[in-house]
Amino acid sequence: MKKIDKSVADAYYREKNKYILLFLSIWFVVSFGVVLFADSLQFEVPILGFPFHYFMGAQGSILTFIILLFINAKVSDRIDQKYGIDESANEQISYGKTVDH
Amino acid sequence: MENSQFIVSLTLILITFGIYIGIAIYNKARQTSDFYVASRGVPPVFNGMAIGADWMSAASFIGMAGTVMLLGYDGLAYIMGWTGGYLLLTFLLAPQLRKYGRYTVPEFIGDRYNSHTARVIAAICTIIISFTYSVGQLSGSGVVIGRLLEVDARIGTLIGVVLIAFYAAFGGMKGITWTQVAQYIILITAYLIPVIFMSLQITNNPLPWLSYGQVVSELGEIDRQLGLSEYFAPFENGSRWQFMALMFTLMAGTAGLPHVIVRFYTVSTMKAARWSGAWALLFIGLLYLSAPAYAAFSRFILMTNVVGQPIDDLPAWTETWLNTNLLQIADTNNDGILQWNEIMISNDIVVMATPEIANLGVFVIGLMAAGAMAAALSTAGGLMIAISSSFAHDIYYRVLRPNATDTNRLAVGRITIVAATVLAGIIALDPPGAITQIVAWAFALASGTFFPALLLGVWWRRANGPGVIAGMLVGLTVTLAYIFAVRFGGFSIAGIIDTGAGIFGAASAIITIVVVSLMTKTPSQEVQDEVKDLRYPEQMTYKNGDVWMK
Repeated sequence: MKKIDKSVADAYYREKNKYILLFLSIWFVVSFGVVLFADSLQFEVPILGFPFHYFMGAQGSILTFIILLFINAKVSDRIDQKYGIDESANEQISYGKTVDH
Repeated sequence: MENSQFIVSLTLILITFGIYIGIAIYNKARQTSDFYVASRGVPPVFNGMAIGADWMSAASFIGMAGTVMLLGYDGLAYIMGWTGGYLLLTFLLAPQLRKYGRYTVPEFIGDRYNSHTARVIAAICTIIISFTYSVGQLSGSGVVIGRLLEVDARIGTLIGVVLIAFYAAFGGMKGITWTQVAQYIILITAYLIPVIFMSLQITNNPLPWLSYGQVVSELGEIDRQLGLSEYFAPFENGSRWQFMALMFTLMAGTAGLPHVIVRFYTVSTMKAARWSGAWALLFIGLLYLSAPAYAAFSRFILMTNVVGQPIDDLPAWTETWLNTNLLQIADTNNDGILQWNEIMISNDIVVMATPEIANLGVFVIGLMAAGAMAAALSTAGGLMIAISSSFAHDIYYRVLRPNATDTNRLAVGRITIVAATVLAGIIALDPPGAITQIVAWAFALASGTFFPALLLGVWWRRANGPGVIAGMLVGLTVTLAYIFAVRFGGFSIAGIIDTGAGIFGAASAIITIVVVSLMTKTPSQEVQDEVKDLRYPEQMTYKNGDVWMK
């Protein structure tokens, strides 16, 4: 075990949370935001032919959600890598750490 | 004709059941950790499929497209709510709960808040929520088996009970995981084939997701001509605030449902939990992106092929469904022509009836039945595991008999599954409400109890035992009181009805936890350190104000 500098540990935490906040803001806008203004967002989406508010409810928001989750997984992996986290070490630790009451 | 349909449906159902039972036997649980969390070694992609099958219930498979078809835009609250919750779950709860390394949600609450009372309340909430939910699943499977085998729905329900009790008790979580992977593949195939064929029939495009936008716009045009409100017009079947409250309830409920959260315990690390969440929503999204297409095509066929026809000359499929009373036709203005407002169609039959409406043949109809059964059984299986672990692990072992042996606990777990399934089956013989309604109550209860307890448990060190006990009780009471006040007292705030009750439950629980925690003792340093530790990956450990790397 080696001690990690407090500023490095805090930086890790802040970087992770910065992205979570960003992703959740997008989540909020494409769901609650669009619904709040649904009446004035009824212009037609080109090619697909939907009114925009309906497209967002039926497809746009869900696609955004899926993409955000994959970006989050990828971004988190990259942050872990940057701070020298090794996934196989994680697996070993978490395997042993299982609290078996 | 009727006879060949019966044989095809029965064969498909038997083959798929054979596969599930085979997998369950092959993966029979040998140890406690196998039984509850599949030894924590399921790869994320497969775990994603298992979460998908666990998640997509009879309400998703049978009910959702019908709901959208009847409610138009307002039905989309279900689509957004039931997908958007995965972001709350994957960002804010699942990886952290995985690092904490317990078996069940009540166990997390009991240990994190250092309180047996909180543990027991959480276990009881789990049992109430999962039990309510499984009554809906069993009655759904009863309807499908009954319709397909042409036996009474009650006998169908009993057949479902026997099957669920058998493989859930036998395989435990490990068996369930791989069974659910198979169930996901079967249910998604069964859902996509009809919608792709309908898309080809109506728009000459095999990709429904690209083609049904035009159909939605055309439906708006047809509605205008008939003097109805447009299919896509917002807030015609409820207020804007009901839409948002329902969406919130389904999202927060998703993040707090014990049987879904426990699926994130079956992977190896926090990283695997994040990837599981992403894969799960991708697999779930395939069905949820298709449901509104299903709804639009069904409504289009009804509007163009059935509405405006002479009542004496309706297609043959109407006959069988008229007999079930789930479809009703009345010529109220006596002109001999069927109008849209003269049809009463139950939202639970839309998905099941559409292959017949679109003339897709016996194989597709049989496949739909097998898919619907997969959806109902897989969710019910997951729910039964949640009930069994809450009772056998959190109440029996942690509180009543702390020195029970491994074998003993496994036996109690299995007995609980059989007992709970049979009891839920008895209630499902005469269900207290429609499937979607029962399911929405379960979500409202989860968002009023577990969502606040877990969210603050992970993200706020200061939250303590008295706070969470008061919070869960207040959340439960407010949610139940609101549901009852709306249903029996004609009460409502801003047009929000019983299905949106979760927003009041969650808000009051969060406020209660914060206020009561601040008024009572700060949690021990040890607990606070444990909570801070959840911020970091497995390799980092937080101890006495410092972070250590292994």
